[in-house]
Amino acid sequence: MIRRLANWFRRNKLESGLDRELRYHLGRRIIDLERSGLPIGEARRQALLELGGIAQIQEEVRDIWLTRWLRDFVYDLRFSARSFLRTPSFSITAVLSLVLGIGATTAIYSLVDQVLLHALPVRQAERLVLIDWRGDQVANGFGSWNLMSYPICRDLDKQKQFFEGVFCRALTTVNLSSGGDYRPETAEIVSGNYFPLLGIGPAVGRVLANDDDGTPNATPVAVLSYDFWETQFGGAPDVVGRKVLVNRHPLTIIGVAASTFKGIDVGQVPSIWIPASMSEQAIPGFKDLLDRRTRWMQVLGRLNQGVTLQEAQTGLQPWFKAMLQEDTRRAGFPIITAERRQEFLNSSIVLTAASQGHSGLRRRLSEPLWVLFAVTVVLLGLACLNVSGLFLARGSARDREIGTRLALGASPWRLGRQLLADSLLIALAGGLLGIAAAPIAVRTLIAFLPQGTAPTALRAGVDSRLLLFAFVASVAAGLLSGLAPAWQAGRRSLVSSLRDRGGTAFGGVRLRKVIVGAQIALTLTLVVGAGLFLRTLDALMAKGPGFMTSSLISFGIDSLRSGYPPAEGNRLIRRIDEAVRQSPITQASAIARFPLLTGGSWNDPMTILADKRISTDRDVNLNAVTPGFFPTMGIRIIAGRNFDERDAHAPDETGPAIVNEAFVKRYLGGRSPLGVRICEGSGPDAKPNIEIVGVMSNFSYRGLREESEQVYFPFFEGEGAGGTFYVRVRGTPESSFPLLRAIVHGADPALPMTDLRTLDQQLTRSLNTEHMLATLSGSFSTLAMLLSLVGLYGVMSFVVTQRTREIGIRLALGAMRWSAIWLVLRDALAMILSGIAIGLPFVWALGRLVESQLYDIKPFDPAVIAVTILLLCSAGLGAALIPAHRASGVNPTDALRVE
Amino acid sequence: MSSSKFPIPQGTLDMLILQIVSLEPVHGYGIAQRLDQISRSVVQANQGSLYPALHRLEQKGWLRAEWKQSETGREAKFYSLTASGRKQLAAEKHSWARLAGAVELIFNEGAR
Repeated sequence: MIRRLANWFRRNKLESGLDRELRYHLGRRIIDLERSGLPIGEARRQALLELGGIAQIQEEVRDIWLTRWLRDFVYDLRFSARSFLRTPSFSITAVLSLVLGIGATTAIYSLVDQVLLHALPVRQAERLVLIDWRGDQVANGFGSWNLMSYPICRDLDKQKQFFEGVFCRALTTVNLSSGGDYRPETAEIVSGNYFPLLGIGPAVGRVLANDDDGTPNATPVAVLSYDFWETQFGGAPDVVGRKVLVNRHPLTIIGVAASTFKGIDVGQVPSIWIPASMSEQAIPGFKDLLDRRTRWMQVLGRLNQGVTLQEAQTGLQPWFKAMLQEDTRRAGFPIITAERRQEFLNSSIVLTAASQGHSGLRRRLSEPLWVLFAVTVVLLGLACLNVSGLFLARGSARDREIGTRLALGASPWRLGRQLLADSLLIALAGGLLGIAAAPIAVRTLIAFLPQGTAPTALRAGVDSRLLLFAFVASVAAGLLSGLAPAWQAGRRSLVSSLRDRGGTAFGGVRLRKVIVGAQIALTLTLVVGAGLFLRTLDALMAKGPGFMTSSLISFGIDSLRSGYPPAEGNRLIRRIDEAVRQSPITQASAIARFPLLTGGSWNDPMTILADKRISTDRDVNLNAVTPGFFPTMGIRIIAGRNFDERDAHAPDETGPAIVNEAFVKRYLGGRSPLGVRICEGSGPDAKPNIEIVGVMSNFSYRGLREESEQVYFPFFEGEGAGGTFYVRVRGTPESSFPLLRAIVHGADPALPMTDLRTLDQQLTRSLNTEHMLATLSGSFSTLAMLLSLVGLYGVMSFVVTQRTREIGIRLALGAMRWSAIWLVLRDALAMILSGIAIGLPFVWALGRLVESQLYDIKPFDPAVIAVTILLLCSAGLGAALIPAHRASGVNPTDALRVE
Repeated sequence: MSSSKFPIPQGTLDMLILQIVSLEPVHGYGIAQRLDQISRSVVQANQGSLYPALHRLEQKGWLRAEWKQSETGREAKFYSLTASGRKQLAAEKHSWARLAGAVELIFNEGAR
């Protein structure tokens, strides 16, 4: 096949070769025949006769070079290309429709592929599994999901009958310096067998091995990511042996990881890999590496060759149950109730395939991305329908040509194939341009992605998978848009097409009306979807975070990671706080332990001692703030009092707390919350000795959608862990950035300032997914609307041309102009309404698909649907009005003279 | 051409060409001459089907072609056997022998 296609491109050389070969043969034969005594003319005649027709031989040989159908197909394509060049406006319209469809689908697919489908670039990724604990681990923890302790990973690694090995990893942020300023960078803390088990080698030096993860604190080494090495060390080959400072602890660089490897979490690219034995240095204040009851790492394993996931999961349970029993007998196992103990013992181990690694981005984006992908596929289908309609229109213009070809003996199949070649050519041209536009589109899309995604994590480039996808999409689009015209051509009867001089094929119009109906149905679905997403974004914006974001700025200071012991860290924070407060730009300022609107929070269940002792049935979101927090943010204290300076010095765990309205509503019913005592934790050992002194109005902590119960504590001195500053400034917020930077720089020149931005920016970032869905579905449905209006306009124009005579007669017989207009509009309205009727079930299906992405709106919202239908009807009638108006202007005498 | 010669059996032409080329690199006219010699005695090979057959065999990778000076001094396209062509020839010879043997066996059976 490939060789034959190659033959096409060197066909001139082949032809001339064959020509020479045959001429040589003839020459020799003539000479030989002359020698045997024939006269010159006779010898030539005889030689040609023996060979039996040069042209026939050439044809036969050409069929060998390029099989018949391929050759015909290439001719078809050439014919198509020539006819397209003759009608550029038609070709451009058709190609552009498909560029939109294919470009949009390819761009979204690029993200779907990278975020959701792509297997990790590691050795035999299909054998990787994520190992998780189902049940109560009786453990404290921090981190994202699927967490277990480091010692359990070590135990699992010993189950060699199932696993080639088991490794663990945790992502964290470290203050990293390669000689200059400290910068916050993503670090991955990994067990020593991480690189060997993934099969990742070094680009320079060596990667981490088991020996690097032995005695805690004994192996101060690290591996750099390829990108970090390139940007921070300029790709220096002598980087091995140099030192980097991680939270002010020196680690020796032993190597750089392979360039293709970007960690196992799509969207979070580590700059540095640190062995678990050095986790105390990587996470300030962390001392629980060897504690079995601290869950903080994801555990992944590589199954042995031939062991299935199910076998391993079943096979591991006996060992796991024994381990649970043993754990309860260990020293230091917490004292818990009998029920909790039973829950612990009932735990099991769960394996899930992890060929794509473990990704928070995937978790958050998988649904929105699939929704958008579905939207673009619908858009592509719409574009195909549009091209179909265009082809049908062209087909009726080419009636005579096709009729003539049929009359000359072309089979309907042969003609259909020609039409398919037409549409394939258009689709491939559309695909090529779509691929050319894809990188720009993907780059735009990446900008929409939620916060915290590393810019290096996703590529905007075109790889072979994407090319393949675009090619398949183009061919499918080509076949799809060629189907209707080819079918139409196949049905054409020879007699009628030669007889009808005017070129009226009524089946063509009916088919085109069906196509427009389908377009209206798809458009309805997309526009309703866009309406739902817009309303969702609108509702969230209207609700707001519950505090005033304008002229509010936040930035983070992490004194522990910058090497400050707690006491000194406190002094640092206080120094910066003083300086910020005294700055002329500051109206008010405050510090919170954890930042707002970032998607994360400090959370725990709580115990409440009111009339009786109860535990909360879900996690409560917690924070600690300075007294200035509520006034600075514009959050009202509804009852009781705000914190004051004395609260900050109260002894641990007995200080006051302020709860929000939601907390009061959910757990304290009608009674006054003031004076009620609470505490963190839900176990029997929890001692509720914190007094509620105030109630604050509800506001968003993690994100805008959430309406959670919250409890705020005073920002205790003595914790010394830093926090997030909130500063309300005079004037434009951006202009005060340099001043704030100068203040922090003045306190400690080496101290990094993280996430300096306005709260308006922070708010926008937290609504990224909603913005992405609303904007993209909005633009896609606008395109869809345009495409189907063009289709509708085309059909109606055609109908008017066809019915000119009829309309002329009606007018001649005294019909009013408006009745001529109505005649056309009625036709259009019927098409639009039937399209809407077909579309409504799709709208319902779409609603089910996107339900979880919506806020404060039902998926089958009557208002949105009614507005969409009204919009479609009026836009459709508007498009039909132009040809209708033309119809009413028909001069009866002209119309009658046409015949 | 006398009618006593019978036409060359379907598919045998390829085998004959491979056989002729296997002896030494030879151009199309040379093959035609060889075929002519055979056809003079027994079978009738149409020269018109020679060139399509040659190109088919070249396409399949059994023959390789090269422009060289011929015995008359003019450039001609010389065909030679490739390794896979040699394998193919051996296979065809083998199956031909089996077929011929089988046919003979059946004839002998009938004669008895």
